[in-house]
Amino acid sequence: MVTAITNAIFDEISPALIRQTNMADYKEAPLATRPRTLDPNDYFNLSPEKRRADEERAAVRSNLKRQYLTQLNNPHRNALIDDPALNRWVYARANPYPHFRPTFKTSLFGFMFGVAPLFALYYVFKTDRDRKEKQIQAGTSDRRFCHSS
Amino acid sequence: MRSGVSIPAAVNMAGVGFRKVVRALTKSKGSGFSALLSGCRAASGPAKGSLPGPFPQTPEERAAAAKKYNMRVEDYEPYPDKGEGYGDYPKLPDRSQHERDPWYKWDHPDLRRNWGEPMHWDFDMYIRNRVDTSPTVVPWSSMCKQLFGFIGFMLFMFYLGEKFPAYQPVAPKQYPFNNLHLEKGGDPEKEPEDVKNFEI
Repeated sequence: MVTAITNAIFDEISPALIRQTNMADYKEAPLATRPRTLDPNDYFNLSPEKRRADEERAAVRSNLKRQYLTQLNNPHRNALIDDPALNRWVYARANPYPHFRPTFKTSLFGFMFGVAPLFALYYVFKTDRDRKEKQIQAGTSDRRFCHSS
Repeated sequence: MRSGVSIPAAVNMAGVGFRKVVRALTKSKGSGFSALLSGCRAASGPAKGSLPGPFPQTPEERAAAAKKYNMRVEDYEPYPDKGEGYGDYPKLPDRSQHERDPWYKWDHPDLRRNWGEPMHWDFDMYIRNRVDTSPTVVPWSSMCKQLFGFIGFMLFMFYLGEKFPAYQPVAPKQYPFNNLHLEKGGDPEKEPEDVKNFEI
Protein backbone atom coordinates (compact mmCIF):
# COMPACT_ATOMS: atom_id res chain seq x y z
CA MET A 1 0.00 0.00 0.00
CA VAL A 2 2.68 2.47 1.09
CA THR A 3 5.00 1.32 -1.67
CA ALA A 4 2.23 1.78 -4.24
CA ILE A 5 1.61 5.33 -3.05
CA THR A 6 5.32 6.23 -3.06
CA ASN A 7 5.75 4.71 -6.51
CA ALA A 8 2.77 6.68 -7.82
CA ILE A 9 4.11 9.93 -6.35
CA PHE A 10 7.58 9.26 -7.73
CA ASP A 11 6.24 8.51 -11.20
CA GLU A 12 4.32 11.76 -11.11
CA ILE A 13 7.21 13.96 -10.03
CA SER A 14 10.21 12.33 -11.74
CA PRO A 15 9.70 13.46 -15.37
CA ALA A 16 9.53 17.04 -14.13
CA LEU A 17 12.70 16.69 -12.06
CA ILE A 18 14.86 14.57 -14.35
CA ARG A 19 15.73 16.22 -17.64
CA GLN A 20 16.45 13.40 -20.06
CA THR A 21 17.95 13.78 -23.48
CA ASN A 22 17.16 11.24 -26.14
CA MET A 23 19.45 10.07 -28.90
CA ALA A 24 18.41 12.75 -31.34
CA ASP A 25 18.92 15.61 -28.91
CA TYR A 26 22.27 14.48 -27.53
CA LYS A 27 25.02 16.83 -28.58
CA GLU A 28 28.55 15.66 -27.89
CA ALA A 29 31.20 18.12 -26.69
CA PRO A 30 33.55 19.43 -29.38
CA LEU A 31 36.39 16.95 -30.06
CA ALA A 32 34.79 14.35 -27.77
CA THR A 33 32.91 11.27 -28.96
CA ARG A 34 29.42 9.93 -28.48
CA PRO A 35 28.74 7.12 -26.01
CA ARG A 36 28.47 3.80 -27.78
CA THR A 37 24.83 3.43 -26.64
CA LEU A 38 23.84 6.62 -28.45
CA ASP A 39 25.75 5.86 -31.65
CA PRO A 40 23.21 5.40 -34.46
CA ASN A 41 25.66 3.17 -36.34
CA ASP A 42 25.11 0.44 -33.74
CA TYR A 43 21.37 0.37 -34.34
CA PHE A 44 20.84 1.22 -37.99
CA ASN A 45 23.95 0.21 -39.90
CA LEU A 46 23.78 -3.58 -39.70
CA SER A 47 24.38 -4.54 -43.32
CA PRO A 48 26.30 -7.65 -44.37
CA GLU A 49 29.06 -5.44 -45.79
CA LYS A 50 29.68 -3.98 -42.38
CA ARG A 51 29.73 -7.46 -40.87
CA ARG A 52 32.21 -8.63 -43.49
CA ALA A 53 34.40 -5.60 -42.87
CA ASP A 54 34.33 -6.25 -39.13
CA GLU A 55 35.28 -9.87 -39.73
CA GLU A 56 38.19 -8.91 -41.98
CA ARG A 57 39.45 -6.53 -39.32
CA ALA A 58 39.10 -9.28 -36.73
CA ALA A 59 41.09 -11.61 -38.99
CA VAL A 60 43.94 -9.10 -39.26
CA ARG A 61 43.83 -8.60 -35.53
CA SER A 62 43.93 -12.31 -34.77
CA ASN A 63 46.85 -12.82 -37.13
CA LEU A 64 48.84 -10.12 -35.37
CA LYS A 65 47.86 -11.57 -32.01
CA ARG A 66 49.07 -14.99 -33.12
CA GLN A 67 52.41 -13.60 -34.24
CA TYR A 68 52.86 -11.72 -30.99
CA LEU A 69 51.90 -14.60 -28.72
CA THR A 70 54.15 -17.01 -30.62
CA GLN A 71 57.09 -14.75 -29.98
CA LEU A 72 56.03 -13.98 -26.41
CA ASN A 73 55.69 -17.61 -25.34
CA ASN A 74 58.80 -18.84 -27.11
CA PRO A 75 61.00 -20.26 -24.31
CA HIS A 76 64.18 -19.74 -26.32
CA ARG A 77 63.59 -16.04 -26.84
CA ASN A 78 66.13 -13.90 -25.04
CA ALA A 79 65.54 -10.53 -26.69
CA LEU A 80 62.82 -7.90 -26.86
CA ILE A 81 59.93 -8.44 -29.25
CA ASP A 82 60.34 -5.94 -32.07
CA ASP A 83 57.13 -4.07 -32.93
CA PRO A 84 57.30 -2.94 -36.58
CA ALA A 85 54.29 -0.66 -36.11
CA LEU A 86 56.10 1.17 -33.33
CA ASN A 87 59.23 1.44 -35.46
CA ARG A 88 57.22 2.82 -38.34
CA TRP A 89 55.57 5.38 -36.06
CA VAL A 90 58.89 6.55 -34.64
CA TYR A 91 60.43 6.70 -38.09
CA ALA A 92 57.48 8.66 -39.50
CA ARG A 93 57.54 11.17 -36.65
CA ALA A 94 61.30 11.64 -36.87
CA ASN A 95 61.56 11.95 -40.67
CA PRO A 96 58.91 14.29 -42.05
CA TYR A 97 61.51 16.22 -44.05
CA PRO A 98 61.54 14.10 -47.25
CA HIS A 99 57.79 14.64 -47.56
CA PHE A 100 57.84 18.36 -46.80
CA ARG A 101 56.86 20.68 -49.59
CA PRO A 102 56.77 24.47 -49.29
CA THR A 103 53.14 25.45 -49.90
CA PHE A 104 51.24 28.52 -48.80
CA LYS A 105 50.11 26.90 -45.55
CA THR A 106 53.45 25.42 -44.56
CA SER A 107 55.29 28.61 -45.42
CA LEU A 108 52.79 30.59 -43.38
CA PHE A 109 53.33 28.30 -40.40
CA GLY A 110 57.08 28.60 -40.77
CA PHE A 111 56.83 32.35 -40.89
CA MET A 112 54.38 32.65 -37.95
CA PHE A 113 56.36 30.38 -35.66
CA GLY A 114 59.92 31.03 -36.79
CA VAL A 115 60.29 34.56 -38.09
CA ALA A 116 57.53 36.74 -36.70
CA PRO A 117 58.21 35.96 -33.00
CA LEU A 118 61.79 37.12 -33.40
CA PHE A 119 60.81 40.55 -34.59
CA ALA A 120 57.72 40.86 -32.41
CA LEU A 121 59.50 39.91 -29.20
CA TYR A 122 62.47 42.14 -30.03
CA TYR A 123 60.10 45.07 -30.54
CA VAL A 124 58.15 44.36 -27.33
CA PHE A 125 61.18 43.94 -25.12
CA LYS A 126 63.01 46.90 -26.58
CA THR A 127 60.14 49.35 -26.17
CA ASP A 128 59.39 48.15 -22.66
CA ARG A 129 62.97 48.47 -21.53
CA ASP A 130 63.41 51.86 -23.19
CA ARG A 131 60.33 53.12 -21.38
CA LYS A 132 61.65 51.79 -18.06
CA GLU A 133 65.07 53.32 -18.67
CA LYS A 134 63.54 56.69 -19.45
CA GLN A 135 61.52 56.54 -16.22
CA ILE A 136 64.60 55.63 -14.17
CA GLN A 137 66.63 58.43 -15.72
CA ALA A 138 63.82 60.88 -15.04
CA GLY A 139 63.50 59.57 -11.50
CA THR A 140 59.81 58.71 -11.72
CA SER A 141 59.98 54.95 -11.12
CA ASP A 142 59.74 53.58 -7.55
CA ARG A 143 62.76 51.32 -7.10
CA ARG A 144 62.93 51.31 -3.32
CA PHE A 145 62.35 47.56 -2.95
CA CYS A 146 63.67 46.31 -6.26
CA HIS A 147 67.32 45.70 -7.18
CA SER A 148 67.18 44.01 -10.54
CA SER A 149 64.53 45.83 -12.55
CA MET B 1 90.15 -8.99 -33.26
CA ARG B 2 93.07 -7.57 -35.07
CA SER B 3 91.98 -7.44 -38.66
CA GLY B 4 88.34 -8.52 -38.44
CA VAL B 5 88.70 -10.63 -41.60
CA SER B 6 89.53 -14.33 -41.50
CA ILE B 7 91.88 -16.06 -43.93
CA PRO B 8 89.20 -17.71 -46.12
CA ALA B 9 87.37 -14.41 -46.52
CA ALA B 10 90.58 -12.69 -47.57
CA VAL B 11 91.15 -15.37 -50.17
CA ASN B 12 87.57 -14.93 -51.31
CA MET B 13 88.01 -11.19 -51.65
CA ALA B 14 91.07 -11.72 -53.79
CA GLY B 15 89.15 -14.29 -55.79
CA VAL B 16 86.19 -11.98 -56.48
CA GLY B 17 88.14 -10.49 -59.28
CA PHE B 18 88.58 -7.16 -60.90
CA ARG B 19 85.63 -7.44 -63.34
CA LYS B 20 83.10 -8.12 -60.61
CA VAL B 21 84.32 -5.12 -58.67
CA VAL B 22 83.90 -2.91 -61.71
CA ARG B 23 80.42 -4.31 -62.38
CA ALA B 24 79.36 -3.72 -58.79
CA LEU B 25 80.71 -0.20 -58.84
CA THR B 26 78.91 0.68 -62.05
CA LYS B 27 75.63 -0.87 -60.87
CA SER B 28 75.89 0.57 -57.31
CA LYS B 29 72.31 -0.31 -56.31
CA GLY B 30 72.89 1.18 -52.85
CA SER B 31 73.68 -1.98 -50.89
CA GLY B 32 77.08 -0.50 -50.16
CA PHE B 33 80.40 -2.07 -49.65
CA SER B 34 79.01 -5.50 -48.80
CA ALA B 35 77.63 -5.76 -52.35
CA LEU B 36 81.14 -5.27 -53.66
CA LEU B 37 82.34 -8.24 -51.67
CA SER B 38 79.77 -10.96 -52.14
CA GLY B 39 76.60 -9.53 -53.71
CA CYS B 40 74.37 -9.98 -50.65
CA ARG B 41 73.03 -7.51 -48.11
CA ALA B 42 72.76 -7.61 -44.32
CA ALA B 43 69.65 -9.07 -42.68
CA SER B 44 69.72 -6.60 -39.80
CA GLY B 45 67.65 -3.47 -39.93
CA PRO B 46 64.15 -2.97 -41.36
CA ALA B 47 62.96 -4.89 -44.40
CA LYS B 48 62.93 -3.11 -47.73
CA GLY B 49 59.37 -1.83 -47.91
CA SER B 50 58.42 -1.76 -44.25
CA LEU B 51 59.21 1.84 -43.33
CA PRO B 52 56.90 4.79 -44.07
CA GLY B 53 57.33 6.22 -47.53
CA PRO B 54 55.99 8.96 -49.78
CA PHE B 55 52.32 9.66 -50.42
CA PRO B 56 50.77 6.85 -52.49
CA GLN B 57 49.77 8.04 -55.96
CA THR B 58 48.39 4.89 -57.63
CA PRO B 59 45.87 2.35 -56.29
CA GLU B 60 48.61 -0.30 -56.23
CA GLU B 61 50.71 1.91 -53.99
CA ARG B 62 47.69 2.43 -51.75
CA ALA B 63 47.13 -1.32 -51.49
CA ALA B 64 50.79 -1.90 -50.72
CA ALA B 65 50.77 0.82 -48.08
CA ALA B 66 47.62 -0.61 -46.48
CA LYS B 67 49.26 -4.02 -46.31
CA LYS B 68 52.40 -2.49 -44.86
CA TYR B 69 50.47 -0.83 -42.05
CA ASN B 70 48.37 -3.98 -41.33
CA MET B 71 45.13 -2.32 -42.40
CA ARG B 72 42.33 -3.18 -44.83
CA VAL B 73 42.59 -1.35 -48.14
CA GLU B 74 39.15 0.19 -47.52
CA ASP B 75 40.18 1.40 -44.06
CA TYR B 76 43.50 2.87 -45.19
CA GLU B 77 43.30 6.62 -45.67
CA PRO B 78 46.52 8.63 -45.86
CA TYR B 79 46.72 12.25 -44.76
CA PRO B 80 45.96 14.63 -47.66
CA ASP B 81 49.10 15.43 -49.59
CA LYS B 82 49.66 19.04 -48.56
CA GLY B 83 53.41 18.82 -48.08
CA GLU B 84 53.05 18.77 -44.31
CA GLY B 85 55.45 15.86 -43.85
CA TYR B 86 53.05 12.95 -43.24
CA GLY B 87 53.96 10.91 -46.32
CA ASP B 88 51.85 7.75 -46.57
CA TYR B 89 51.17 7.46 -42.85
CA PRO B 90 47.52 6.48 -42.27
CA LYS B 91 45.00 8.94 -40.89
CA LEU B 92 43.38 7.11 -37.98
CA PRO B 93 40.31 8.42 -36.09
CA ASP B 94 41.19 10.97 -33.42
CA ARG B 95 40.27 8.80 -30.47
CA SER B 96 42.08 8.70 -27.18
CA GLN B 97 43.23 5.46 -25.52
CA HIS B 98 40.81 6.31 -22.70
CA GLU B 99 37.98 5.17 -24.92
CA ARG B 100 39.25 1.66 -25.51
CA ASP B 101 37.78 -1.29 -23.68
CA PRO B 102 39.40 -1.56 -20.25
CA TRP B 103 38.43 -5.21 -19.88
CA TYR B 104 39.81 -6.64 -23.14
CA LYS B 105 43.17 -8.44 -22.87
CA TRP B 106 45.40 -5.97 -24.66
CA ASP B 107 48.99 -6.95 -25.40
CA HIS B 108 50.10 -3.72 -23.71
CA PRO B 109 47.41 -3.08 -21.08
CA ASP B 110 48.59 0.35 -19.92
CA LEU B 111 48.62 1.65 -23.48
CA ARG B 112 45.47 -0.33 -24.41
CA ARG B 113 47.11 -1.36 -27.63
CA ASN B 114 47.87 -4.63 -29.40
CA TRP B 115 51.19 -5.57 -30.97
CA GLY B 116 51.43 -4.56 -34.62
CA GLU B 117 48.41 -2.26 -34.49
CA PRO B 118 48.89 0.96 -36.50
CA MET B 119 49.58 3.84 -34.15
CA HIS B 120 47.93 7.21 -34.42
CA TRP B 121 50.26 10.02 -35.49
CA ASP B 122 49.53 11.72 -32.14
CA PHE B 123 49.64 8.50 -30.13
CA ASP B 124 51.78 10.06 -27.42
CA MET B 125 49.13 12.75 -26.96
CA TYR B 126 46.28 10.25 -26.68
CA ILE B 127 47.74 8.02 -23.96
CA ARG B 128 45.82 7.61 -20.75
CA ASN B 129 47.80 10.23 -18.86
CA ARG B 130 47.00 12.92 -21.39
CA VAL B 131 44.24 14.02 -23.75
CA ASP B 132 40.91 12.27 -23.21
CA THR B 133 38.28 12.31 -25.97
CA SER B 134 35.73 10.07 -24.24
CA PRO B 135 32.13 11.33 -23.92
CA THR B 136 31.75 14.11 -21.36
CA VAL B 137 29.61 13.63 -18.28
CA VAL B 138 27.77 16.96 -18.64
CA PRO B 139 27.03 18.83 -21.86
CA TRP B 140 29.41 21.45 -23.20
CA SER B 141 26.99 24.31 -22.46
CA SER B 142 26.80 23.23 -18.83
CA MET B 143 30.59 23.09 -18.53
CA CYS B 144 30.98 26.52 -20.10
CA LYS B 145 28.36 28.03 -17.82
CA GLN B 146 29.99 26.57 -14.71
CA LEU B 147 33.54 27.60 -15.56
CA PHE B 148 32.88 31.09 -16.87
CA GLY B 149 30.23 31.67 -14.23
CA PHE B 150 32.71 30.93 -11.47
CA ILE B 151 35.50 32.97 -13.03
CA GLY B 152 33.18 35.87 -13.73
CA PHE B 153 31.80 35.82 -10.20
CA MET B 154 35.27 35.78 -8.66
CA LEU B 155 36.47 38.61 -10.90
CA PHE B 156 33.42 40.67 -9.99
CA MET B 157 33.90 40.11 -6.26
CA PHE B 158 37.59 41.00 -6.43
CA TYR B 159 36.70 44.15 -8.31
CA LEU B 160 34.23 45.10 -5.57
CA GLY B 161 36.87 44.38 -2.96
CA GLU B 162 39.25 46.79 -4.70
CA LYS B 163 36.56 49.44 -4.97
CA PHE B 164 35.29 49.17 -1.34
CA PRO B 165 38.25 48.06 0.78
CA ALA B 166 37.45 46.81 4.29
CA TYR B 167 40.29 46.58 6.79
CA GLN B 168 41.08 47.44 10.43
CA PRO B 169 41.56 51.19 11.05
CA VAL B 170 45.23 52.23 10.74
CA ALA B 171 47.10 55.45 11.37
CA PRO B 172 50.70 56.59 10.88
CA LYS B 173 53.12 55.43 13.59
CA GLN B 174 53.34 57.82 16.55
CA TYR B 175 56.67 58.34 18.35
CA PRO B 176 57.07 59.47 22.00
CA PHE B 177 59.30 62.20 23.50
CA ASN B 178 58.08 64.95 21.24
CA ASN B 179 58.44 62.87 18.11
CA LEU B 180 61.93 61.67 19.27
CA HIS B 181 63.35 65.19 19.33
CA LEU B 182 66.65 64.21 21.05
CA GLU B 183 67.11 60.90 19.15
CA LYS B 184 66.74 62.67 15.85
CA GLY B 185 69.62 64.89 16.70
CA GLY B 186 67.74 67.84 18.04
CA ASP B 187 69.37 70.46 20.30
CA PRO B 188 69.05 69.46 23.97
CA GLU B 189 68.98 73.13 25.05
CA LYS B 190 66.34 74.20 22.57
CA GLU B 191 62.75 73.72 23.47
CA PRO B 192 61.22 70.90 21.45
CA GLU B 193 58.09 71.72 19.61
CA ASP B 194 54.95 70.34 21.14
CA VAL B 195 53.71 67.50 19.03
CA LYS B 196 50.19 66.37 19.83
CA ASN B 197 49.15 63.09 18.21
CA PHE B 198 45.54 63.26 19.32
CA GLU B 199 42.61 65.43 18.50
CA ILE B 200 40.23 66.81 20.99
